[in-house]
Amino acid sequence: MNRSALLSVLLGAASVLQARAAVPETVGFNEHIRPILSNTCFFCHGPDEKHRDGKRRLDLREEAIADHDGVRAIVPGDPDKSELMLRILSHDPDEQMPPPKSKRAALTADEIATFRKWIAQGAKYEGHWAFQPLNAAAPPVVKETAWPRNPIDQFILARLEREGMKHSPAADRATLIRRVSLDLTGLLPTPEEVAAFVDDPAPDAYDRLVTRLLGDPHYGERWGRHWLDQARYADSNGYSIDSERAMWPYRDWVIKAINEDMPFDRFTVEQLAGDLLPKPAKSQLIATAFHRNSLINEEGGVKPEQFRVEEAIDRLNTTAEVWLGLTVGCAQCHSHKFDPITHQEFYRMFAFFNQGEDVNSKGATLEVARGEVFGTGPTAEERNAEAALKRKADEAAWEKDQLAIQEAAEAQGESPDALAYALRTEPNKRNAEQARLVLEAFEKAVPKYSKAKKPAKKETDADVVDLMVMKDLAKKRDTFLFLRGDFLRPNQTLGPLQPGVLAAVAEPMQAQPAEFQNRLDLARWLVAPQNPLTSRVTMNRVWMRYFGRGIVETEDDFGSQGTPPTHPALLDWLAGEFMRQGWSMKAMHRIIVTSATYRQSSKARPDLAEKDARNLLLARQSRVRLEAEIIRDAALCASGLLNPEIGGPSVRPPQPEGVYSFTQNKKVWPDVTGPNRYRRGLYTMFFRSAPHPLFSTFDAPDFQQVCTRRGRSNTPLQALMMANDVAFFEFAQGIAVRASREAWQLLSPSFPEPRQAGDWRSQGASLPVRRAFLLANSRPPSAKEEAVLVRYFEAQVRAFAADPASAQAMLPNTMPADLEPVSTAALVGSARAILNSDSFITRE
Amino acid sequence: MNPLTPQQLAETERRLTHDVTRRHFFGQCGVGLGALALTQMLGNDGYGRDIKVDPLHPMAPRPPQFPAKAKNVIYLFMAGGPSQLELFDDKPKLRELTGQTPPPSLLEGKRFAFLKGDEKLLGSQRKFDRIGQCGMTMSELLPHLRGVADEICWVKGMTTDVFNHAPAKIFMNTGFQAPGRASMGSWVTYGLGSESRDLPGFVVLQSGPRGPRGGATLWSSGFLPTSHQGVPFRNSGDAILNLRSPKGIAPAQEQGFYKSVSELNQARLDEVGDPEIMTRINAYEMAARMQTSAPELMDLARETPETLALYGVEPGKPSYAANCLLARRLIERGVRFVQLYHTDWDHHGDTKNNLSAALDDRCAETDRASAALVADLRQRGLWKDTLVIWGGEFGRTPMGENRMTIGRDHHVDAFTMWMAGGGAKPGVVYGETDELGFGVVENKVHVHDLHATILHLLGFDHEQLTYRFQGRHFRLTDVHGQVVKALVA
Repeated sequence: MNRSALLSVLLGAASVLQARAAVPETVGFNEHIRPILSNTCFFCHGPDEKHRDGKRRLDLREEAIADHDGVRAIVPGDPDKSELMLRILSHDPDEQMPPPKSKRAALTADEIATFRKWIAQGAKYEGHWAFQPLNAAAPPVVKETAWPRNPIDQFILARLEREGMKHSPAADRATLIRRVSLDLTGLLPTPEEVAAFVDDPAPDAYDRLVTRLLGDPHYGERWGRHWLDQARYADSNGYSIDSERAMWPYRDWVIKAINEDMPFDRFTVEQLAGDLLPKPAKSQLIATAFHRNSLINEEGGVKPEQFRVEEAIDRLNTTAEVWLGLTVGCAQCHSHKFDPITHQEFYRMFAFFNQGEDVNSKGATLEVARGEVFGTGPTAEERNAEAALKRKADEAAWEKDQLAIQEAAEAQGESPDALAYALRTEPNKRNAEQARLVLEAFEKAVPKYSKAKKPAKKETDADVVDLMVMKDLAKKRDTFLFLRGDFLRPNQTLGPLQPGVLAAVAEPMQAQPAEFQNRLDLARWLVAPQNPLTSRVTMNRVWMRYFGRGIVETEDDFGSQGTPPTHPALLDWLAGEFMRQGWSMKAMHRIIVTSATYRQSSKARPDLAEKDARNLLLARQSRVRLEAEIIRDAALCASGLLNPEIGGPSVRPPQPEGVYSFTQNKKVWPDVTGPNRYRRGLYTMFFRSAPHPLFSTFDAPDFQQVCTRRGRSNTPLQALMMANDVAFFEFAQGIAVRASREAWQLLSPSFPEPRQAGDWRSQGASLPVRRAFLLANSRPPSAKEEAVLVRYFEAQVRAFAADPASAQAMLPNTMPADLEPVSTAALVGSARAILNSDSFITRE
Repeated sequence: MNPLTPQQLAETERRLTHDVTRRHFFGQCGVGLGALALTQMLGNDGYGRDIKVDPLHPMAPRPPQFPAKAKNVIYLFMAGGPSQLELFDDKPKLRELTGQTPPPSLLEGKRFAFLKGDEKLLGSQRKFDRIGQCGMTMSELLPHLRGVADEICWVKGMTTDVFNHAPAKIFMNTGFQAPGRASMGSWVTYGLGSESRDLPGFVVLQSGPRGPRGGATLWSSGFLPTSHQGVPFRNSGDAILNLRSPKGIAPAQEQGFYKSVSELNQARLDEVGDPEIMTRINAYEMAARMQTSAPELMDLARETPETLALYGVEPGKPSYAANCLLARRLIERGVRFVQLYHTDWDHHGDTKNNLSAALDDRCAETDRASAALVADLRQRGLWKDTLVIWGGEFGRTPMGENRMTIGRDHHVDAFTMWMAGGGAKPGVVYGETDELGFGVVENKVHVHDLHATILHLLGFDHEQLTYRFQGRHFRLTDVHGQVVKALVA
């Protein structure tokens, strides 16, 4: 009987189950051994030489197994010959590890058994967790089997049970429908949708809701916006001149691809390398605009090569951050201090992006027409063909007229000139000189067809725009390592570098190209099933959107300086499931939002305040403040003003004066009137140097570089924006008008009765105020909230009745005839208060 | 794979456990003294000292760690990097060697943003004099500042690490060249809170043709709570976007509005217990107060004609001078940290940016007002409590650039800054550069040392003013910095 078998016998039957659980079948270094070494041994036997003081290192395998004067700390496969085992089993104060003077707890029997097994199994060390293959472990068994709705819940609950914590009850239905609507579409449910869901007794009521929302075209806008952050999409060139650019067809491509649930691997390949696919479709070329979202410096006297290199580096950094969750930028100048990214590897990856044909402001473009991406209008080519036909027709008509004039002149005795002869000749029989004569005369007569006239720069909202797309050079550029990251100092000694990927990430991948050629190889490598990072990083970010924080909190750093995952097995399960589901995002959204974990109430709990104040273990949902765009969208929904149109050129809703006080040049910003005034936030024109203040106030990035996670600040400036911004005031007016009418409808089915609908003075404020609150928060107010709002409404009614002029200021420019001014004005005030409450801008 | 260990978990939890959560529940459940005492203990665990911030009033004034020399800061940031060789560091030898190749030993291992290697030494064409008792060398470009030379604490041996504008500005502000850390103003309001209940504790003003490169990163609160971030004030129209209530709404009406919002938020806080709601309640209270305090603040016409003349301010016309006067008014109203950016000091030697006309203009724009600020603070008794700091993100090279006009490249190895008031020793000329102005030969002050000294004047041990984030105690001075005692009065 070997010693470990003896040990289990000695431990006794009663604790066998426990022992089996505590000493795993297969001992993993990162999972089981590293935490013990790290807590107990590394202080003196780790990388820090100051504390090591000549002692044996246990953090490096070669050191741990090395023979020092006949003593080997670890003899792989043979625990009994390993000095480490003797020391941790010893009771001699001079020998025992950890030594008594270290004041560290001795290892437990389980830990000792784990060590023994690990050594017996070969004492394998493992690298950093994020670079290891996905762990295919099955979801754990939980005690409270009734709670989990899917595997996610098993992972979450198992950890809670281990920590002796209790999950929260499900959120009430009104909270749930607002939560899942905001998360999936970024829009509020209507009061009717809320009521229908709250009253739906069917067991699949929630599943049907999720199905509806995932099929809603606004889903593509919501999740498209998250992606556009990573694509650093904006409507201007950046730097100090920062003029407009038309990248919106790319934005629309993203929305469409996400609505169609394009598998994420294809989504990746088309954006990174659509142009390199065999016979690419036009939509695949449009997708490559992803990497043309980099900046362009239009200042006089810039060195184009410098900015070409900068943008290529930005493309590399963006790619590494988005798909690998790694900050590779450090390796631009030197090998990374913490992560296995060498200086040379950086430039091997740079080589993929160093072949772009574009140089700062010059590069490949593609004509795209309005509506083309969504297939709702003719393509640019069709429009061009149509225009050519039109020209031909115009030309024929003009020739006919000219001939008539000519004939009339000749009838008067005038003799025909060369042009007249040319016109009389059939167009396809004219010689070159005749053709030229006719063309010149035509273009002179109809100047809009003149080739000599330089075409004006296309407006970014023209019918056909030039979209910047990726294209590689026909003849390859050599890529050198830049000494200290300086593009002026290529390392000629080392010579040109072949494109390549990070060895540490590639290591666990068996199948990969022997030789990388171009972006297409890179894209395919990123989404290869064995790539350990892409699926983890992507799922972690999806998770972050739903819970306010990733399973790996530093979602932008999966390197060794990042925080380790709170639920490693869950992260790997999600990443694995993502691929099992054919890289379907919608499938993963469904799994997450239908989990019991997601559906929990977000209310704080006294017991958790001490144990898990940051809610890392998810014993409840989190309250998350909405993003800038979604705050606008939610207010548009509540007011009923929303123009739900999807896609097209960006628009200019009102913004306060003074936005351009500190930019190099003033931007043109005529406030739009008409339906475009009420478009969703993601369609607002975005100037990188001076964004619309809604964005800068509510933490939208400036898109100078990739953004994978937005901040969530909470400032007085946000208060001023919500309280005073002209757009939000207009939305408050919209809510008041809508609530007034809808509440009256509820009260009196015979609505509308002229001049009575909006008069709440005799009826009491409760009904319209409740309606306004419901429109904004998708739930009725609590008694306390209602009391506050009614009191405020009544105080305003008194004030406005005494001073009718002051009521005017509150009312919309075009006051509907069916509403009574004083109570409508008071209701505008109430709606403004509602929009300014924390509930409104929070997903609860 | 390595899950977050219980120790790490506990640490992150502790770090972000808001007192308010405790208070919320303890208020209802009647427990908690023990737990509160625990936080107090955690405030100082031997590795650093996190400041105890009341999340209900993150800007409430707090005493420093030891008796301070200064309470407030006005930081005059000359964005672009003014030339010390034209303003302060007179180098006759450099003048003598103008047009010659610099000694290779000086250039070895050095990096410059734009120099290509064939540049020649360039002596200043400006006239210098030794001024006052302190004997500071100052050029003809600063006639007004000459008048207060003996009030000033001169730091002639500044060095920094970073030679590109935005990273160098971020470094000068946060002690680190990449974005993400907290700026000095944020650290100071984190440490001291602010005396003002009506205005933000950290205000940023800008003058010059554009905003500073680096933008909002320069006054970011980084990992510190966002209540400590700098708030930019515009110097024309409304100081703050959306400061004004919607058209036609009278201030009296707004009281009811703010009260209702506060009560709605309080009701929700009672229901769901999220401390963010408490922060939002405070944000609205501050916003309401800002609506009246900011316009009053910005109204420079309330100043006497003498004061306006002293600074060179024309009311209604935005300028650096107006911002200096605003800075004084902000400090008077209890604001803790005011930072002024004046841009366009990047004088490489093209048509617009050079050491001739452009430098003349920058000095004309700033000299009178900087000197006036020193004099005005003094006459108003704000002098003792207010530390004024003047400087750019780096200096400029002793070599000229080969461009169209006279100019110099960015230089990190030697430049001049100055401090005044607030316990900075007046009339000290600290630091000396070599005869070409290339490097510091005596009393070098690195950016980290300057930060340590500023915090010292404000009553903090820079190694003990920390914030625990991602398992580490962060400091303004990173892991460096020495207090320069010679600069302390």
